[in-house]
Amino acid sequence: MKTPQEQTLHTRREFIRTSFLGGALASTVPLFLEKTFLTLDSMAAATTGQYATGKDSTILVVLQMAGGNDGLNMLVPYGDDAYYKARPRIAIPSNSVLKINDYAGLHPKLTGLRDLYGSGTLGLIQGVGYPNPNRSHFRSTEIWQTASDSGHNESVGWIGRYFDSCCKGSDPSVGVSIGGQTPQAFASPHPKGIAFSDPSQFRYMSEAASNPKMAEQFMREMNSPTENMGHGGLSDNSGGSIGMISGSPDTAGDTLDFLQRTALGAEMSSDKILEIIRKSKSSVDYPRSQLGNSLNLVGRLIQGGLPTRVYYASQGGFDTHANQLPSHDRLMTDLNAALTSFVADLKAQGNYDRVLVLTFSEFGRRVAENASGGTDHGAAAPLFVLGGAVKPGLYGNYPSLTDLYEGDLKFHTDFRSVYATALEKWLGAPSEQVLGRKYPILPFI
Amino acid sequence: MLLPLPEKLWNRYSAAHLLNRAGFGGTPAEIDDLYSRGMDGAVECLLNAPNDEDLFPRPPMMEPAKRVEYQKQIKNAPTEEERVRIKKSFFRDERAEIIALRLWWLNRIRYTTAPLLEKLTLFWHGHFATSNQKVNDPYLMWLQNETMRQHALGKFPVMLKAMSQDPAMIRWLDLNQSSKKHPNENFAREVMELFSLGEGHYSEMDVTEAARAFTGYRVVPETATFHLATNAHDSGMKTFLGKTGDFTGDQILDLIVLQPQCARFIGKRLWQFFVSESPNEKTISEVADILLNNGYDIGKTLRVIFRSSLFYSRAVVHHQIKGPVQWMIQTTRMLEIPLPDAKVLENSMAALGQVLFAPPNVKGWDGGRAWISASSLLYRYNLAAYLLSGKAHILGGGGAKTAQLPLEAIAPPSTRVSCNLLLEPLAFRIFNIPISTRDFSSYMSYISKQTPPYSDNAVRDLMQIMMGTPEFQLN
Repeated sequence: MKTPQEQTLHTRREFIRTSFLGGALASTVPLFLEKTFLTLDSMAAATTGQYATGKDSTILVVLQMAGGNDGLNMLVPYGDDAYYKARPRIAIPSNSVLKINDYAGLHPKLTGLRDLYGSGTLGLIQGVGYPNPNRSHFRSTEIWQTASDSGHNESVGWIGRYFDSCCKGSDPSVGVSIGGQTPQAFASPHPKGIAFSDPSQFRYMSEAASNPKMAEQFMREMNSPTENMGHGGLSDNSGGSIGMISGSPDTAGDTLDFLQRTALGAEMSSDKILEIIRKSKSSVDYPRSQLGNSLNLVGRLIQGGLPTRVYYASQGGFDTHANQLPSHDRLMTDLNAALTSFVADLKAQGNYDRVLVLTFSEFGRRVAENASGGTDHGAAAPLFVLGGAVKPGLYGNYPSLTDLYEGDLKFHTDFRSVYATALEKWLGAPSEQVLGRKYPILPFI
Repeated sequence: MLLPLPEKLWNRYSAAHLLNRAGFGGTPAEIDDLYSRGMDGAVECLLNAPNDEDLFPRPPMMEPAKRVEYQKQIKNAPTEEERVRIKKSFFRDERAEIIALRLWWLNRIRYTTAPLLEKLTLFWHGHFATSNQKVNDPYLMWLQNETMRQHALGKFPVMLKAMSQDPAMIRWLDLNQSSKKHPNENFAREVMELFSLGEGHYSEMDVTEAARAFTGYRVVPETATFHLATNAHDSGMKTFLGKTGDFTGDQILDLIVLQPQCARFIGKRLWQFFVSESPNEKTISEVADILLNNGYDIGKTLRVIFRSSLFYSRAVVHHQIKGPVQWMIQTTRMLEIPLPDAKVLENSMAALGQVLFAPPNVKGWDGGRAWISASSLLYRYNLAAYLLSGKAHILGGGGAKTAQLPLEAIAPPSTRVSCNLLLEPLAFRIFNIPISTRDFSSYMSYISKQTPPYSDNAVRDLMQIMMGTPEFQLN
């Protein structure tokens, strides 16, 4: 019975052999590749720890609703007159609300989510926010991404800190973000995680060369780790000749080592991802939207056994300052369809119990509608947690619509409690260490 | 000790290293030119490069006259809706303006004959990290950029004061709302924490007191100039860093730079940017002393650094990860091609993680290993391939063709007849250091599969292999 460490080593060896040899290479294995295997094995032994990976352990999917989602029209307080008084034009009529209890219900287009609530895997966390709310997209998004206090500037992401403290030595694909850029949540002085919109772009484009096969082969060779490589320095007066500067790697040679490991990790992740995408197909239909495509991709990668522990996807367009009803309606429809398909996909795979989806938005919107049939930036708002292991229900209290903070809903669940819960109860990580402070754990898992 | 490098150790590689660190690299011809001046000559050449601003007329942005008109209309607008409409019509092209500004600066860095000045401006931009995402005014960002350039090589206290009165900075750190009744502490805190002393070298009381001195700092909207609103300014007695007086903002800054810690802080930042990530205590002390003994003259301090043996040592050379701007400029300079198409350039800098005029937050860019992730490293490899080949689809989606690589200049016919003759000059151009035996034999094994005289494709493919390596990311 192999230990997890031996198992991972074994898996890595097999994977490397399959991808390198099965790839576009000549039939005989050049000497440098044999050496590569040996070095990789020793590298793997040095860095492999006993950590859980997304291949068989829990997975967190963070879904950003970018722009400031109108929580009041998503989880509607239809039982409160103040809601209709504040929003004569844009309030959701009480007879179309998908009722949850006597006071609140879901937006009419969230039918699939209402079913998930009924069947027991959706949690609705109310009144989520933070002290001294900031109404700037830029600043408030940063606060949510870094889990910092609103008066403090932090550049490291909360998920970046999780990777740093709990995922040392893991695959670069420990975090995957669907979309062009790495979210600030992943930011770290030792960056982990990969980002792409299209998996076929996350690879070395050897076709730029006139001989792509050879370019690919040499790229892999030049990016394999070296042992005892001397490093050029100018105190050796070596003139202009090409020659090895002898000596053992100095401590600053760590930089080259870091680059080599990153390159190798990138290759391996790329090969793995491309293989998964090539082979895997969804048994479920996703909506043809950016969100639908993103969650479809996440579904494929989970099914394919990528060791990713945190996925990140984003749905944009929530900054509804004017003529809110039709655009918010479209967003809710899209969200509903994409999440419902994602859940069905995960259930079909038998992976629903391993996945927790968490939505967030940088702020909610103001209680009162504005003069343009829309709403302006607000503060507290509800968010969803979704997954096979979620304890369903409404968490927290619906914020008062009359006892406001500068016209905005007051929060009573600090968003960092939500993070702390996901970290402790789901990812098995020490939340106080990651978030820098102790936050109450919520009972939604 | 920061003892100077002995002249006999000054060689072609030293010159390349100097050009890479004090600037953005160059062609072998440029490196040789620098080398031929001797170390002292080379350092002076970089420090005293004449101003070449005439070569770089700034992009069209909302001109001062138009700003006056804009303010007039806003003042006279009867409703909020009308104000919104006016704002839209004047700032309609704001997004295009900031992109044009970025392109202007990148172009300037690419073609400047005063690379040290641009490198320092980039350093200060990261140091006083201000983002257009909040400032929302490309003209103010440009003004700040020029102010930084003006004082880049000069005395730090002058720069610090200029930044405290800079319109973009005033907006960025909320000085424009800070008044005697409601002082805003943002600038006071960041000026100490991030710009001059570092955390732990001042008290919360110091922040509160300093904030009082910076009240009343305003920007005249029409002219985008600094103005002290005396009725909003707190001219009372303050106690700051142990001294008491009716300090003005400038006087607070004077007290800050009197602290030896300020010299250590700035000295360390300079060392980390130009030399290496972890200077030891002795080195920081020495650089701090030079700053303190020279009125914080940045040029004089850099002269000592660029002439020092330590700067040219094994532990320093080829150990710095090129940042995105450095990578792009150095690569295009060395390949003797222009910057890529504007859209490719804009997308690439974002993908690589360094968007000028939009640092992630007031802490600027972390630099070093933070530039490198699996995604960004793969992107660098693909970007190199794109620049070499001109194949538009490499970076995803339709992109413009890039300029043709001047292969005649890079690998003239005389170099195409044998492996050694080809490899040596290419390796020097691309890596600027002698390459290892291991790498040498890998490149040889590639060329040996080709038949001399080596074709353009063969040369280009070899360069692609060389630039798709961990080594190419280092300076």
